[in-house]
Amino acid sequence: MILVYFISALILSLGALFIKKKSITKILLGIFLLVQLTFTFYVFENAGNTELIYFTFDALGTIFLTVLTLISIAVVYHGFRYFSSRSTERFFFYHSALIGLIASITGAYFANDVTAVWIFVEATTLTGSMLIYHKKTATALEATWKYIFLCSTGIAIAYLGILFLSMTMTGVGIQDLSFDSIGKAAAGANPLYLKIAFLFVLVGYSTKMELFPMHTVGIDANSEAPSPIGALISTGLVNMGFISIFRVYTALSGTPIFSWMNHILIIVGLLSLLVAAGYELKMQYSSRMLAYSSLEFTGLVAISLGIGGVGYYAAILLLVLHAFVKASLFFQTGQMYRILNTHLVEESGNYMKIYPAGGMVFLIGLVCITAIPPSGIFVAELLIFKSLVYSGNWFVLILSLGLLAFIIFALSNRILKMIFSKPKRLGEEIINYTVKPVETLSQFIFLGIVIFFCFYQPQVLVDLINQSIAGLPK
Amino acid sequence: MQNFLIVTFALTLIYLSNSERFRSFSNLIAVQGLILFGIAFIELKEVHTANLIFIVSETIVFKAVIVPVILHRIITHIKIYKVHSKALPGFYLLLFTIIGLFLSIVLANALSDQFLDTVFLTIAMFTLFTGLLIIITHKLIFSHMIGFLVIENAVFLFSLAAGKEMPMLINIGILLDIFASVLILGIFINKIGSQHRDLMADTLTTLKH
Repeated sequence: MILVYFISALILSLGALFIKKKSITKILLGIFLLVQLTFTFYVFENAGNTELIYFTFDALGTIFLTVLTLISIAVVYHGFRYFSSRSTERFFFYHSALIGLIASITGAYFANDVTAVWIFVEATTLTGSMLIYHKKTATALEATWKYIFLCSTGIAIAYLGILFLSMTMTGVGIQDLSFDSIGKAAAGANPLYLKIAFLFVLVGYSTKMELFPMHTVGIDANSEAPSPIGALISTGLVNMGFISIFRVYTALSGTPIFSWMNHILIIVGLLSLLVAAGYELKMQYSSRMLAYSSLEFTGLVAISLGIGGVGYYAAILLLVLHAFVKASLFFQTGQMYRILNTHLVEESGNYMKIYPAGGMVFLIGLVCITAIPPSGIFVAELLIFKSLVYSGNWFVLILSLGLLAFIIFALSNRILKMIFSKPKRLGEEIINYTVKPVETLSQFIFLGIVIFFCFYQPQVLVDLINQSIAGLPK
Repeated sequence: MQNFLIVTFALTLIYLSNSERFRSFSNLIAVQGLILFGIAFIELKEVHTANLIFIVSETIVFKAVIVPVILHRIITHIKIYKVHSKALPGFYLLLFTIIGLFLSIVLANALSDQFLDTVFLTIAMFTLFTGLLIIITHKLIFSHMIGFLVIENAVFLFSLAAGKEMPMLINIGILLDIFASVLILGIFINKIGSQHRDLMADTLTTLKH
């Protein structure tokens, strides 16, 4: 089935690129979403199966695929709306690359081999850069150049990590690089090489997870790409970066370097929070503000993994909920741009008055993203801090809470300014009332999911998360 | 013979890190491609014929011919022939390069293992260090691109050092090389060259943090 999925995605992507008829492209995108949905149901039905040797439908991949599919539907819809007020010159290229990006992310979710993951991550760089350059402006070119340059460097670094892994595996007589084989044989491997491999993989894939030290790639990409793509990059792609690191982490968790890996993750997480807090305080560009918020979340996820215990569960739950909140905020930023024609916080204002539905999305989104009840993120973050208290990591706890306070202040200050304050603009406000409230429905649905999770977490999700972390030490 | 090639490769790196002419950059990249072919040919002679052909086409055709030709075309297109500003004077660059070589030797020996060739590891690390040094110390985007190509060569040497038992890994590394180089060179020649004529990295700072 996964072969059928990839072939369908390829045909539909090429169709969108070459047929060059807007109505047909829309139909092709509709078919792709149906394929994506069907594949998601198929994965649920065939949990644990391996196809084409290199793909296993495991629990973590299933969770992230479900999130990706739901967000993809909204991304496609908002993409159509995005083009409704723009020239259609790049319409076909955009949608062709979009199919490629979603299919590449899906492939990475289920790849059961280090090299297969790496190939799909590489594919996301190619398709992602096409989408980031979409606006063809000087700043889009700058973001694309940085994206390609840093991602290629990151991929090369991750490849060095894979080489070190291959060396250690050769040393213990293993000739393949599947995560299963690595997990079984890694305990007898050279710990120094394993440490180097993990470090390289972490740094390399941090380009995709938007985690310190290579987080800048995602920040620039998010700010320059069209808002639906920003939503996809900071959700589906971030989850892909996480899964790429998490699988190596899980495979090496039975080795003597386990506690060392945890320390590294905590350090990287704290540095991510520090950078996010620093930049959020001076951020004046709405989409970059959201991108730095992603850095905050990935930092928390890294800390959560490093702490272990209930932190594993919290890390995955946090990523799921973050995806829904961040996607809705990115879609809303795009709509705000259509109405106010600016991304600058200073120039935006009175949004609640101008477009009440959008203002409500920002307001509820702010509550959700800052983990204020009834946000589901509150539950996830509470679990993280609980695990920090239980493990006696008081320093990490106090530092994280302190940095989070700065981030919450910065986000609240800017978002509230956008929705309630009078904008600082020269001359008359440029307002295009082109957004209908129904176009904001997807944002409300996603935020509704996040709030729902504060009160009830479906058993199927709880089971899938528990299965995902079953291979980790208790 | 292999050691001779490796030493020659190290010399090209020292020359590259101190060179100021763009033509020298592209010529040295071509020479490195040829040397890598020689090293790969000697090192991997027992590998399957198809793999050997793949590696030969990567080193000779891609690294030694196609990439330098594209680089020459870029130089002609942008009409800048010399590095006119660096973050560091040449003497310090030479000093750092030598320190990098020394560190690579020490590190490679510390990491020495029966499955890892120390000489290969040393040169691979030194190549990586030089590539990063070029990126950090030069202001022109063109030089950054050269630094990236040098890092790609380091990755190739690493794969030769570590991936002898898994030829598939070497092929994947080669695919990375081709993929990333084509993408970066392509965007450089088609887009950046026409929009940023001075090609200074400083001009690519519109996106503020």
